[in-house]
Amino acid sequence: MLCFAEEIMLLLLDDRDGSFLPVPSSSVRSALAGAVLMDLALANRIDTDLHSLILVDDKPTGDALLDPTLARIAESEQAHDAHHWVQRTSDHADEIRQSALDRLVERGILNREEDRFLWVFRSRRYPTVDGTAEREVKLRIMGVLLSDEIPDPRDIAIIGLSDACGLFDHMLAPPELAQARGRIDQVRKFDLIGQSVANVVEQIDELNRLRARSDL
Amino acid sequence: MEVRMERREGALLAVPEGRIDSATARDFESKMKAAIQDDDRAVVVNLSQLSYISSAGLRAVLVIAKGLWRRDASFALCALPDTVREIVQLSGFDKIIQIHGSEVEALDAVGN
Repeated sequence: MLCFAEEIMLLLLDDRDGSFLPVPSSSVRSALAGAVLMDLALANRIDTDLHSLILVDDKPTGDALLDPTLARIAESEQAHDAHHWVQRTSDHADEIRQSALDRLVERGILNREEDRFLWVFRSRRYPTVDGTAEREVKLRIMGVLLSDEIPDPRDIAIIGLSDACGLFDHMLAPPELAQARGRIDQVRKFDLIGQSVANVVEQIDELNRLRARSDL
Repeated sequence: MEVRMERREGALLAVPEGRIDSATARDFESKMKAAIQDDDRAVVVNLSQLSYISSAGLRAVLVIAKGLWRRDASFALCALPDTVREIVQLSGFDKIIQIHGSEVEALDAVGN
């Protein structure tokens, strides 16, 4: 089973050429942070309520993508809420992103290709080698969005993270998205870490809007 | 954790006591799954004796509700203390799970 950060990275790639979809990098950073925290919650290492994120067990999971964040939470002398840990963990989003991509390449799901642009600038693409995992994630998401079934915790998490990155703008046509919007908003609320990710993304968007206005 | 179980008016009535958090959520979930029989058509969980529920507890409730939804059986929560009601409402669980003020109301609703 893939971890949430790997699933998000798969969804962020354009199926046609393995390039990254144009989504706000600040949203992706928050979503990757949330992905790690959600995996730690499902591994029973942390728990959350409306006021705080609680360390349950500091025993490493053995997963190199998750354990650095678990260690930071364990080292913290003060209790903080999930919002704080999404912000703090997003400082390490570049490492999380690269580790997730490296693992997908190692698993034989993606291939890594480097392009040169104007002979100087390098860009990396990750074309899909085996599309099974990505199809499975998309099927899970669509299965929940197009029905009134009670979603399971993994489906709730991936829908909240996808929405935080703005991925549904790429996964669904505008009429489909308009139809699914209510269900997306309903499902993403079910997870408190997902709510915190959405709050952080909204705060950053608001800051960017204010900056843009002050630049005018 | 303690979960009192009884059958009332054709429904399984469960009354968990104390906290449902990361330490007890799995125990709560396995006790509920063990008590639910194949021919149960309705389950009511009375939360009046609960002092706290965390995300892990909400996930356990969700997994139980999903299992029952798949077999077309009814599921309801009732008698939520204020602190529990707050997190249940903020998580939007009240939009997909029946919530009732009292045990009588819940049993009546799932029975119909």
